[in-house]
Amino acid sequence: MKIDITKKLAQLKNDGRKVLGCFPLYPPLELFYAMDLVPVVLWGLRGTATDTTESDRHLQNYTCSVARHLTEFALSNGSGLLDGLFMYNACDTLRNLPEIIEKEWEKIGQALPLIKVHIPMVLPAQTDATAYFKNEINHLIKDLEERFDVLFSKDKFVQAVKQIKYVRDLMARAENRVTDGHLSFLNFVDAIHECWFSTVEEQIRILESLIDELSDEPAFSADKDSRHGVILSGILPPPTSVIHAIESSGLRIVGNDIASLGRSYASMPETREDPAAYFLDFYYQHFPCPTLLYTGDRRTTSLLGLVDKTGAKGVIFVGEKFCEYEYFEFPHLVQQLKDKGIQTLEIEIAIEDDAQTSAHDSRVSAFSEILKNNF
Amino acid sequence: MPEKLKTEKLKTNAGRHLSKMVGDTYMDLHAKSAQGAFVVWIAINVPAELFLGFENVVYGVPESHAALTAAKGVGVLQCEKAEHMGYSMDLCSYARIDIGSVSDGGKDSPTFGLPKPDLLVSDNNNCSLLVKWFDVHHRRMGVPHFVIDVPFCYEPQKDKDRKYIIQQFNDLIRTIEEMSGQKFDMDKALAAVSNTSEGIVHWKRFLSFAENRPSGITAFDSFVQMAPFLVARGTSQFVDHYKLLAQETEQRVRDGQFPVPGEKYRLFWDNIAPWHQLRDMSGSLAKLGANIVGATYTSCIGTVEGSFDFYAFDGDDPLEYCARTQNCYICPHGMNLRGKSMQAVVEKLNIDGIVFASNRSCKPYSVTQLDQQKLMTDQFGVPSVMIDVDHADARKYSKESTFTRLEALLENIEAKRAA
Ligand code: SF4
Ligand code: SF4
Repeated sequence: MKIDITKKLAQLKNDGRKVLGCFPLYPPLELFYAMDLVPVVLWGLRGTATDTTESDRHLQNYTCSVARHLTEFALSNGSGLLDGLFMYNACDTLRNLPEIIEKEWEKIGQALPLIKVHIPMVLPAQTDATAYFKNEINHLIKDLEERFDVLFSKDKFVQAVKQIKYVRDLMARAENRVTDGHLSFLNFVDAIHECWFSTVEEQIRILESLIDELSDEPAFSADKDSRHGVILSGILPPPTSVIHAIESSGLRIVGNDIASLGRSYASMPETREDPAAYFLDFYYQHFPCPTLLYTGDRRTTSLLGLVDKTGAKGVIFVGEKFCEYEYFEFPHLVQQLKDKGIQTLEIEIAIEDDAQTSAHDSRVSAFSEILKNNF
Repeated sequence: MPEKLKTEKLKTNAGRHLSKMVGDTYMDLHAKSAQGAFVVWIAINVPAELFLGFENVVYGVPESHAALTAAKGVGVLQCEKAEHMGYSMDLCSYARIDIGSVSDGGKDSPTFGLPKPDLLVSDNNNCSLLVKWFDVHHRRMGVPHFVIDVPFCYEPQKDKDRKYIIQQFNDLIRTIEEMSGQKFDMDKALAAVSNTSEGIVHWKRFLSFAENRPSGITAFDSFVQMAPFLVARGTSQFVDHYKLLAQETEQRVRDGQFPVPGEKYRLFWDNIAPWHQLRDMSGSLAKLGANIVGATYTSCIGTVEGSFDFYAFDGDDPLEYCARTQNCYICPHGMNLRGKSMQAVVEKLNIDGIVFASNRSCKPYSVTQLDQQKLMTDQFGVPSVMIDVDHADARKYSKESTFTRLEALLENIEAKRAA
């Protein structure tokens, strides 16, 4: 990870911005931008602290590293860098964090606003959650207005929607450059990661320069066509050394089904003035993710579709240890892919893997050999 | 468990009645399914009373079946089957037991598994992983899956959330009507909810004998006696059973019969029952003069968030009551609400020490336990201990290290008394 998150957040604060820490991954960003807040999605916090001492006082070691890093960040330096926390209903681990964080912040006299919204998880064909969701969004707007002394305006909302659309489009374009071999996946991940902690204007600048500054020469020395394409699937991208291992073992990452990457920017609803209508589309049309319970039925087809579209020969599942959401789906997905002749590899990333990933690296090399021998 | 206690336990009418009731219910479920009943598999907090509003809809509870499987000693065998299919050992052991059991048609199940469902109804209230678990069945069996979405409660349930839940109950009813061709009868559902509420009155009375010194019950008895909530809610047998249990327990207390007569330490349990250790753990504790007299797991039944007091049905709208009590189980309570309920019951039962069972299979129950422990010990001065127990996977339990810690807790209690 190249960016210094603490520094980025301190900079935003110095610039007088109101920073809202958000989790999990798909908060209503456009709404926050429209209300002059800077939402930062609190993921990829691996590396913001040297250990998880604070978090270990609150979370058992069988919670995932995402939750532990997030807690560590929030409790060690988060309160001074944020103006509030936003969360929507998440997994069984994350849903318990707000109160833990809130209590600890209170103890140090930093009672920051904690804003919660419930995103309906019902299947649209089963229950019409429109009215409920509209009410949630209207409440959220009112809450933000009161707490941050800001005002919602439809014009600004539409403008934010357009900006975010452009950002997501740029992210997809940058990913295409990874696919065609002009951008290393690692640089791509770093850029997207930086975007999570930047204003929307800055995100546009980061992504435009990333794309513009690419040379016409492919990043890989060998001919891209001789490298077998693989798709990465998981919650977070794998640690740097594993990405290195993938790219240096003769594989090419041609697509990703990563929650913090592709799943976040793959779908973009139609522009609308009404935030409730817009976000209902946003959540219901979202690229399938195990954390969005109603997308379960679309998950297999979307992953198989991605394989077809990219011509990938293999899928590497990057499991976040203790993430039930992901692990309940792997066996089925693996079988479906196998039935189509697609090779799969499952690697499990645990908190200890911050320091030690050599076992994964060798498995990646072996996987690359299998692909070479099979295709 | 000492032989004397074991014999006493087996002799209770409520114990015998329970075994028969549970056995009969599973057999009845298979029989009705074979005769064409509409079969629903549900999460424990889906209001089973709704199914009693139909003429011929029966339900099975995979979590309950998994608990029974673990208690009968075949939990690990079923878990291993799921693991061989590729399901991670880190997943909830109930889910692994269930997936393993379904994989070969309930071959090693104490109840021959559950009959194949026509509909799966999950509920993300206790945990959202359950939705993913039922999705596994949905894909493997090709059975529709209805998801009840219940907002987590950091505060007492809000009207808007209750309305949303009721809306979903209505949708569920409509779905079953369409799929089964049967008509829902609200009066029948009302009668079922009344029965549940009445049965819980007796359940609460049964639990109240823990206030006696020595306690009239152990939490282990109450764990076992939870089964009717999962298999017979809403029926008249449910009421009769808990009435019998309460009356019999009252009589035993009057007669001076106590599960741990030399009770020196009154403990409280936080987490799901250690199904594979019930007998062994209660017996070993009794030898130390300790009795786990209560548990969050059993106290929360029939309550609403933030309190373990009984929440009665007012006889009016059954859907309203079912929605209001959606948060009764402990997992959907936020940390503050949990602390509030726990503190009150710990005081009421005169608890000397709390056993927090950290359960890697159940994050909804376990995450926040470290904070709860701190709250109970630092703020309310109740000694406590954290032990590691997986509720249904015996491979993740060590008696030796557990009892080292439990003995340390008893020493702490002694030290506190001496001070
Ligand atoms: S990785 Fe999984 S378990 Fe961890 S926070 Fe994300 S969804 Fe929850
Ligand atoms: S995780 Fe806990 S609440 Fe969820 S099914 Fe397993 S035991 Fe039950």
